[in-house]
Amino acid sequence: MSGQAKRLKSHAKLRENIQSWLIMLPGLILMTFFVWEPLFESIRMSLYKTRNVELVRFVGLDNFASVTGKDDFLQALQNTFSYTFWSLIIGFVLPILLAMLIGETVRGKSFFRTAVYLPNMLPGLAVIILWSAFFSGEKSGVLNILLGKLGVSPQSYLTHAEWVIPIIIVIATWKGAGATALIYMAGMAGISPELYEAAAIDGASVPKRIIHILLPAVRKLAGTLLILQIISVFQIMYEPMVLTKGGPDNASLSLMQLMWQYAFGGAMNYGKASAVAVIVTLILLVMTAVYSFFNRKESDWD
Amino acid sequence: MSKVFKMVSLLLALCMLSGIPFGFSAAEEVIDADLTCTITLGNWPPDTAPDAEKALFENYRAIMAKQYPNVTLVPDYYSYTLSNYVPMAKGGTAPSIFQPPFTDPQLLISQHLVGDVTDALEKFGVLEEFSPSYVEMLADENGRIYGLPRDGYVLGMHINAALFREAGLVDEEGLPLYPKTLQELAEYGQIIREKTGKAGLVFPASETYGGWLFTNIAWNFGCVGESALEYQDEDGRWVCNFTSPECIAAMEYMRDLRWKYDILNADATTTDWAGAHSLLGTGEAAMNFAADDSVDQPTANKGLPVEDFALIPFPAGDAGRYALAGGTCYMFAPNITADQSVALMGYLKILGKLPFLDDSIIEGMRADYQAKRDRGAPVIPAISAWNDEAYNAAKQAIVDEFCNVDMRLYNDFFDSISQGTITLKSEEPVFAQQLYRELTAVIQRAITKEGADLEKALRKAEESFQEYLDDEINDY
Amino acid sequence: MKKTQRTGVIREYDMHSASVKVGYGFILLLCGLMVVIAVFPLIWVSLAGFKDLKEFVSSESIIPQSFSPEPFATTWSQLGIAKNYLNSLISVVGSVACALVFNGLLGYGIGILKPKGHGAVKRLVMLSLLMPPTISIVPLFMNIQNLRMGNSFLPLWLSFGANAMYVILFVQFFESLPGSIIEASRIDGCSQLQTFFRIVLPLSKPICTVISIFAVNAAWSDFLLPYLVLRGAEKQTVMVRLFVFSTEQTVNADAMMRSVVFAMIPPIILFFIFQKQLTENAVSVGIKG
Repeated sequence: MSGQAKRLKSHAKLRENIQSWLIMLPGLILMTFFVWEPLFESIRMSLYKTRNVELVRFVGLDNFASVTGKDDFLQALQNTFSYTFWSLIIGFVLPILLAMLIGETVRGKSFFRTAVYLPNMLPGLAVIILWSAFFSGEKSGVLNILLGKLGVSPQSYLTHAEWVIPIIIVIATWKGAGATALIYMAGMAGISPELYEAAAIDGASVPKRIIHILLPAVRKLAGTLLILQIISVFQIMYEPMVLTKGGPDNASLSLMQLMWQYAFGGAMNYGKASAVAVIVTLILLVMTAVYSFFNRKESDWD
Repeated sequence: MSKVFKMVSLLLALCMLSGIPFGFSAAEEVIDADLTCTITLGNWPPDTAPDAEKALFENYRAIMAKQYPNVTLVPDYYSYTLSNYVPMAKGGTAPSIFQPPFTDPQLLISQHLVGDVTDALEKFGVLEEFSPSYVEMLADENGRIYGLPRDGYVLGMHINAALFREAGLVDEEGLPLYPKTLQELAEYGQIIREKTGKAGLVFPASETYGGWLFTNIAWNFGCVGESALEYQDEDGRWVCNFTSPECIAAMEYMRDLRWKYDILNADATTTDWAGAHSLLGTGEAAMNFAADDSVDQPTANKGLPVEDFALIPFPAGDAGRYALAGGTCYMFAPNITADQSVALMGYLKILGKLPFLDDSIIEGMRADYQAKRDRGAPVIPAISAWNDEAYNAAKQAIVDEFCNVDMRLYNDFFDSISQGTITLKSEEPVFAQQLYRELTAVIQRAITKEGADLEKALRKAEESFQEYLDDEINDY
Repeated sequence: MKKTQRTGVIREYDMHSASVKVGYGFILLLCGLMVVIAVFPLIWVSLAGFKDLKEFVSSESIIPQSFSPEPFATTWSQLGIAKNYLNSLISVVGSVACALVFNGLLGYGIGILKPKGHGAVKRLVMLSLLMPPTISIVPLFMNIQNLRMGNSFLPLWLSFGANAMYVILFVQFFESLPGSIIEASRIDGCSQLQTFFRIVLPLSKPICTVISIFAVNAAWSDFLLPYLVLRGAEKQTVMVRLFVFSTEQTVNADAMMRSVVFAMIPPIILFFIFQKQLTENAVSVGIKG
């Protein structure tokens, strides 16, 4: 290839690169404006003593020290892990079970699929308001009415420190489990029925087929969904804010909600709020890093 | 524009400048045709408001259009909370006028988040009519004024008289036999629970509401003076004290309400202000700590007939008989211009919030009371935020005309204030909302965990709030 | 009629066994129960809407005393919800357009064009997925105010053009497209932009459908940023209205339930129209994520 051709080619390559960047530019500008710059600003704020959005003076890690030294932070941290724990107990296996159940049905499969997906379409705020009436401790609370028919006397669910987090997870699971189940169903649909046939002919019982064929097939998918679930539950904020306002006695206060309280709950301390958010982000980064370390070979992304 | 109008408005302006209250201006007259600006009005009645109320504000708007033809009014349904206000003030989108509670003005003023209206008030000649306590609340250290009192309230208790009757708690006149002390409150509540199965007391122990009501209980247990919840030490440092024997006793009382007497509503820790009024208004609870300014909530809004409603003084404790007095005020966006502040005062004058009584204001009050009457809300005297006797007396006369209640169900409340048998006390001086939040958490512990160590919980709340105080004022 | 095939673990052959038969019946029972759990709250809230406050607070029955539609009519006009529906529609349409165009182009850059340095962008976008978006809402709101975009739909629309999740979904889809087709179009002399609109976009119908559905749902449900931006009553969306309504301390619990019903109706209608795309396409995309 002659030098000129080479030059022409690298010239064309450069032009192509510039064009490509120009195509990405609008998206990049929006990402900068809506995501990256505000995020950077938040990180900066976490290092300053603030008065509203004004940075008063640089204080290094003081905000972090002050925030983490408080009982409510430890409580919120513990609660957030508790949310994660309960969401794994209640919300992780359930979609797999739902997917297996629906997958076995012959008639009415698409009806079942549609029905379980429905709650996922509903606006989160409306869902929480709806369920708050469901768990009302008055005699008119729906759960109390239903349990009353079974002879259980009325309970006040949201005043029990031990119950609030599982209740919130139940609500979140009601909204989200169906959608997750459909993802699993798609994963299970990838398993060729012939595999089951072959196993059946070999005399493998139904439970054995589940353990040896079905579950291994969705293992990787489950791992991915697990980490996504943990990340999203870790950021839980709006549900406890509306349902219990973090109570009773901070028993349902989440880290993000603590962040919100610092920022908007009367304290107006954006510096400390940002410190909490940065801590949450760091925890999430660590969890993701651990996940991708164990999953390195399979992951498309690293 | 006609010469006559110009003359009149000139005359009017002169009178205002000289500070003479102008008693006979009719609503139709132009006050200032040259004033040109736009003001956005927070707390405009939302679509959900009763028609009468919406009509009333439309009427204010019409009068404003006549008096200040070149001032444009933009209705805004904004209702203030500290958290939603700050970004707006910073971003320059705060409405020109809004209504914060009396706990917040000093915070907003110190952070330069509100506008100065001193000069406009001077122009209207009402600077002198302020009661000094309000001046203290609404001014900065240089005496510049940033707000106007909107209404005052005194905390007492709302009573569902029907439940009292059902429980047999009535005197020989058939009036509810109400609790005079906190101890009686617990006992009567128990009787009501036993006889009717309903909650004796609804206690909104969520967010800041619980702590707010608790401070009043704590005062009556003796958390004042030496044992005050908040005070400034000799060095000027703000200190909080939640671990005095008095405060612990008050918190034990909260625990007893739940575990010993069991008179609280089921979901106290998630009940808010609206929820508390709902339960009282629908007959699910017999008593609710609430003030004279919210009597239309359980009645007109939640359906309790006015004849089944009573307002009583805050029950006394062993160590005192205090009632929290407070209210909301009008404050203004930090970026208002001189013209806008004059227009805003003109607007407040039309609302009858300045101590002037002209025909249009009297008419407005009548319309207001008529509207209350029509929707089944009690028409009772308001506690005035102004120190102007003639003005206050004239207002009372109008109230009497529309009164739709048996005043025997209210007299003790108002008498306790006018006769001084109850001591009015304003909210804790600094960062009250944060203090309430801390105390609410302890209350939640007291009423959800029977064996909770309340002294320890109070000590933790104290440490946390002290750190907050150090952060926010002591270290400045 | 074609016989429906069993696709699950249980095979036709197993159905001869009595225990498997019982098990299958049990599975159907559980599926039915699941449908009840998914749907019951919606039925309940609709029924609750017929109650007045007193009945809502006191009644120990799920069935209302009367089925008069009047309470719904009252709440409908009280909320002025017709206008809110229109506002939501405007917000949703613009948001979907921005979500497709801007994220699509960025995804095209990262997934197909791959200019020098695109890896850094890809990593940045991935990282943004992890960041709790709520914390930056204050600085973001300031940015919007500084550009004088308050009280307008524009920032809400554009915010959908900056969604890391959608970008990644686009990238994954584009990367799965056969490179040869794109190569061919380049050889035919199409510019990069022409290739996107003529070749890539028509091939991307499934992903566009899915992202549209996600964006419709998100734009409909979102209320935090819209609340800060569209504060004026003129432009309030349904969810902003519901949020404002829920913070008004004068609102009654029964009216709250009716407004919840109003907020849920459009997504439910949408759901039934697009249920096939939703339950099939959304899933096939999800599986790659």
